[in-house]
Amino acid sequence: MANNDESNNGKKLRVLLIEDSPTCAALARAQLAEAGKDAFEVTVADCLAKGLEQLSAGGVEVVLLDLTLPDCWGLDTFLRVHQHAPHVPVVVMSGMDDQELALRTVHEGAQDYLVKGRDDGSLMVRAIQYGVERQRLRQELAREQNLLRTLLDSVPDRIYFKDRQSRFLLISRAMARLFHLDSPEQAQGKTDFDFFTEEHARQAFADEQRILQSGEPVLDKVEKETFAGGRSLWALTSKLPLRTQDGEIVGTFGVSKDITSLKLLEEELAQERTFLRAVIDAIPDQIYVKDIGGRFTDANRATARSLDVASADELVGRCDFDFFPADVAAGFAAEERAVLDGILPALHRESAIAFKDGQTRWIATTKVPLRDSQGRIIGLVGINNDVTERKRAEDQLHDLNFDLARSQNELLGVLDDLKKSHADLKAAQMQLIEAEKLESVGRIAAGVAHEVKNPLAILLMGIDYLESEPSAADPGVAMILKDMRDAVHRGDAIVRGLLDFSAVRKLDLEPTDLNAIIDKSLLLVRHELVKANLTAVRHFADGLPPVMIDSIKMQQVFVNLFMNAVHAMKQEGTLTVTTRVRTVTDVAHNPGERDADRLRAGELMVEAQVDDTGHGVAADKITKVFDPFFTTKPTGSGTGLGLTVVKKIIELHGGQIQLMNRPEGGVRVVVALRAGSGRVGDSPIGGSGID
Amino acid sequence: MDKKRILIVDDEPSFTRMVKLYLEKTNDYEVTEENDGAKSIATARACRPDLILLDVIMPGCDGGDVVAQLRNDGDLKKVPVIFLTATMSQEGMKARGGAIAGFPVVVKPVDAKKLIKQIEKSLS
Repeated sequence: MANNDESNNGKKLRVLLIEDSPTCAALARAQLAEAGKDAFEVTVADCLAKGLEQLSAGGVEVVLLDLTLPDCWGLDTFLRVHQHAPHVPVVVMSGMDDQELALRTVHEGAQDYLVKGRDDGSLMVRAIQYGVERQRLRQELAREQNLLRTLLDSVPDRIYFKDRQSRFLLISRAMARLFHLDSPEQAQGKTDFDFFTEEHARQAFADEQRILQSGEPVLDKVEKETFAGGRSLWALTSKLPLRTQDGEIVGTFGVSKDITSLKLLEEELAQERTFLRAVIDAIPDQIYVKDIGGRFTDANRATARSLDVASADELVGRCDFDFFPADVAAGFAAEERAVLDGILPALHRESAIAFKDGQTRWIATTKVPLRDSQGRIIGLVGINNDVTERKRAEDQLHDLNFDLARSQNELLGVLDDLKKSHADLKAAQMQLIEAEKLESVGRIAAGVAHEVKNPLAILLMGIDYLESEPSAADPGVAMILKDMRDAVHRGDAIVRGLLDFSAVRKLDLEPTDLNAIIDKSLLLVRHELVKANLTAVRHFADGLPPVMIDSIKMQQVFVNLFMNAVHAMKQEGTLTVTTRVRTVTDVAHNPGERDADRLRAGELMVEAQVDDTGHGVAADKITKVFDPFFTTKPTGSGTGLGLTVVKKIIELHGGQIQLMNRPEGGVRVVVALRAGSGRVGDSPIGGSGID
Repeated sequence: MDKKRILIVDDEPSFTRMVKLYLEKTNDYEVTEENDGAKSIATARACRPDLILLDVIMPGCDGGDVVAQLRNDGDLKKVPVIFLTATMSQEGMKARGGAIAGFPVVVKPVDAKKLIKQIEKSLS
């Protein structure tokens, strides 16, 4: 074609004339010049060797060849030229009108065979021109065939051509490989039934028959191909009718692309998408996607449920204003605007949200921008988590903690109480041990009294006898006898005290006026009071309720108290006795006190208070005053049992006795007894009586 | 004036001797001692006392038992009795009642003068 273009442009066709006869050469040149209208540029070579040399030099577009040359002859001459330059068209000129030779040269590739001398030149020109054109077409066809061949040999896709019976005419090398064939040619005449399962082959055959009948192609069909060996793959196939130039359908052709890996990827992707969707839908959190306008584009089931719509599809295109009170929705919108503007993502922000149904629930929200592949924000993804229950639990926990703390305090209080009770019990135990000791003392005293008093009786009687003797008139003897008598009385007093103590077991209770008892007791000590020059003052309450007491023992109590006062004051002083009624308000109980003895708020008590103006009791001794054999009196003046007995008697009455120093000096003793019903005293230290 | 015969029953010989010495020194009394409670009735029958001083607690036999026997004895049942006791408190006496109840009691150790006062009171 290029040559043609060049000739059209007025460029001369370069002709190599290989001719050994100068005459013939000149003639030919002249004829070409005349008939060819000067379209040729002729070069002459007078032998084959030179001709080939010229060809090698290049630029020759057509060869005009005489077969009979000095260095070669006949058909060989053509063959050597043709072999040397196969793409250059050769027109043979021969002196031999040899039909057979002519046919053979043309068969071997010569463009024409002209017999010299029979032509005026026009035949030669035409032969050259045709030859050149024919050669050009042949080359073009070869190029196209080459293109097709290249295509079929190198594309990875399968390309095939079939006849009307679906027999392969031509297949691409890739397809041959797939069919495990050594070359594409081996497929010729075979069908899909030779390579695929019958099922697939039948299907393909049906498709192709349809195409043959309708002329309609099947384009981009995705199909699964299963080979006879069981191997299968996915292909994207197009099948078209194969037509002749006239349009007649003579078969089919098609292209199949192996998309197995794509298909697998797609399946994987689909699976992942399904999985993801299932997860998103199953998750209790609300997950949703909104566009930049705040409209839902996707949402999971939890979101649909929370907004009370049947499915997430119903949410698409709607916005928060459709579901929340306007102010709440506006709040969301502002927040989302900030997220979309890239100012701040909302991360697990907890807030109480009022829903349209009036319920308020605690929602933890996370909202992040959604970006496209270019990174532009195209909306947002939100995750809402209803944390109401957790909040409630937290509140409860808080309350419980509070309660726990309070309970702990209460427990600590109880513990304190228990500790105190324990201490009290311990004290009570000590008291009981003490009581047991006293009881033992009492028993011993009773036992000992008899053995001690008899000798004392002997001594006293002896002293009396001696005093009646004349020798007693001697002052020294008299003094000794008096000292002895005092000693006997002292011993006797101690034993008697012990006996009194041990004898206090049973009470003879009668409702009694305490004032009267105190008066009697004062009478009994009147002599002592007068002797010590002491004044007795009475502040008696009028109309005291009676107390249940043993009069004699209570008298013993007050005589004891008064005598202690007398001894404390010695000379000059005032003994003040006050009586009153008191209602118990504070119920602090004393260690070791028995439950039954414990005073209760509201109980009515009759109290007697004995004050003296004496020397008082040293602070370190005041707790011991009720202990047996404790005395502040000079040796010989007290038995150390008086207050011990007093306390025991009061306790037997279910009463209380307290001894304290008065701020203004002296001692105050307060005896408190239950008004009205006294208690029948069974001895706290029990024991059988010693009579 | 005839001397009054007094029987003193006490398991303590020193005491009975001392009482006897003192009382007889007054020349008003003639005293018989008995230190075994169990023999006291027999002794009493023998000496025919005007008054008996009787210890309460004695080995093998106590004052209560003695007084019970005395009261069953036709000759002795009217003899006044004064109890002598070393251990008994007033309350104990009262509580005991029975055989001792109603009798005067002198608690040991006792002043000789107090004893004589009680004896005189019982004899009158």
